[in-house]
Amino acid sequence: MSTATLSPAAVDRGRPGPSSPATRVTFARVLRAERIKLWSLRSTWWTLGLTVVAFVGMVAGMSALVRSLAPEEAAEAAAGGAPLSAEAVYSIAVQPASLAAVVLGVLVITGEYSTGMIRSTFAAVPRRLPALWAKAIVVFAVMLLTAALAVAIGVAVSWLILDGRGLALDLSEGDNLRLLGGSALYLATLALFAFAVGALVRHSAGALATVFGLLLVVENVVAAVPWEPLRWVRPFLPASAGSRVTLPEEWQGMFANEQMYAVDPGLWGSYAILVAWAAVLLAIAAVLVRRRDA
Amino acid sequence: MIEAQGLTKRYGAKTAVDDISFTVRPGQVTGFLGPNGAGKSTTMRMIVGLDRPSAGTVTLDGRPYAALRSPLTEVGALLDAKAVHTGRSARQHLRAMAATHGIGRKRVDEVIDMTGLQTVAGKRVGGFSLGMGQRLGIAAALLGDPRTLILDEPVNGLDPEGVLWVRNLVRYLAAEGRTVFLSSHLMSEMAQTADHLLVIGRGRILADAPVSQVVAAATSQTVRVRSPQVSTLVELLAPHGAGATVVEPGLVDLTGVTAAEVGEAAASAGVVLHELSPRSGSLEEAYMSLTQEAVEYVTHGTPDAAPGTLTDDARPAGTPDPALVAAGGRHATHDGGTR
Repeated sequence: MSTATLSPAAVDRGRPGPSSPATRVTFARVLRAERIKLWSLRSTWWTLGLTVVAFVGMVAGMSALVRSLAPEEAAEAAAGGAPLSAEAVYSIAVQPASLAAVVLGVLVITGEYSTGMIRSTFAAVPRRLPALWAKAIVVFAVMLLTAALAVAIGVAVSWLILDGRGLALDLSEGDNLRLLGGSALYLATLALFAFAVGALVRHSAGALATVFGLLLVVENVVAAVPWEPLRWVRPFLPASAGSRVTLPEEWQGMFANEQMYAVDPGLWGSYAILVAWAAVLLAIAAVLVRRRDA
Repeated sequence: MIEAQGLTKRYGAKTAVDDISFTVRPGQVTGFLGPNGAGKSTTMRMIVGLDRPSAGTVTLDGRPYAALRSPLTEVGALLDAKAVHTGRSARQHLRAMAATHGIGRKRVDEVIDMTGLQTVAGKRVGGFSLGMGQRLGIAAALLGDPRTLILDEPVNGLDPEGVLWVRNLVRYLAAEGRTVFLSSHLMSEMAQTADHLLVIGRGRILADAPVSQVVAAATSQTVRVRSPQVSTLVELLAPHGAGATVVEPGLVDLTGVTAAEVGEAAASAGVVLHELSPRSGSLEEAYMSLTQEAVEYVTHGTPDAAPGTLTDDARPAGTPDPALVAAGGRHATHDGGTR
């Protein structure tokens, strides 16, 4: 920290001119900056690590439960009347993993608002929206890859636990590949949804409370309260609808229950509802990001 | 070149920046001086497009900040030493900022060296002292080797060595023909660093003049005289161009004459002197007198004229000093748009 370190010649040595295309802000560059930002924070490693640990841990625990139960017992043990099986453990494992995933999604954007970093970000990218899109893409891509890794480890761990009993997941079955891919896709999309909430709310605590409140309280209450009009709400809740892509075939039947669900948008239709939630919230966030003072 | 025209920022009923127009020219250091809460930071944030003006425009070399395709190479801004994620290391912060413009690691290392951050570049910013945070903010501002530098309170929290370093840096950058605009609430700092001063108080420009002019006005010599025959003395000295301000009965402050002249005149006329002391106004006094009303208004405002309800009636408090504005303010206001 010495004043002697100021060497004026270093100020403009070999720099391109101000308008040089060599230093234009491009989307690829903004994307690269957001990638650097994401990987240079500890919270990223913590939340990604927790996502994997929570997912794999739950897969291992549930697989051990499947192994310990006779098939008849497994059917009884299952909530919602569908049998607990090697196919079903992934849809259970996405639940704790999703809590870590939404924390990452929220913090990527609220961390910048709470620290003031957002001003540096928007000073470098004054049009602002490229920075928002780049963050959204980075969050989605990183969470998709991490969740895919968690699913792969989960499949291997579950196979080790269940193969001896002949109960392991049949990977030649197309629907099983769908629910594995669906688990990764659901976690990534939910992180994107959380990111959109974070971009709107801008405060870490507020955004986390909103997303957790929705996932842990609102959706569960709506699912449990036997009030007739709620059958019009249940099919459209973001996490409930989105998580349908993680459920095995034999569990899908419950969505046809018209006492509970007024409409059945179908498996991918339900996933599209979560995508729509994320897209609409991101669109609102985009409008506000351009309008609000940073 | 930074040009502001009728720039205004209102937060609800509070007017933070009230219809200000000014020009910051290249090749000199322009100081932006005002008490805390005068509107300096708000103005600077509007320049770089972070806050949207309620009215008016501000351009950089003729273009609004948002229209710049390569903003960091045109404008480097230290707006807030805390505009950094505390969980990231200084080097990673600079790398991410540089990446948006395709600026390489070599330049990142250069600005780290220039700002003396080598030993802490790998540490998380959350553990930085205020001074190190300032150096990081300055490093980020220099990343793109910009033509225009906007530094909000750059010496805040720096040790004397750091203050000297910033002073030399901005003077060097201005000498290279760059536009340098830095804010401070310290008049003494500005007097040593800036060539030109914009003084702001309660959101309005109070003075826009070369710093030498502000300093000259501030440091005019007065001679304090206490005498039972003070009026006789004033009459004696009036032909010599002396001006008198009565402080209290029997006590005057004289301008335009030296203490020696007063003493000799008194002796030859047989006037008894009880006190004869030369006084020079300090820069801080000049600054206080410039901004005093603006500040006082905030402190002693009656409830119906509180800051939240600033109206035209309140404007006299922030009325520019005519002498100083004449030197530069009018020029800035009327020439601003012609380039």
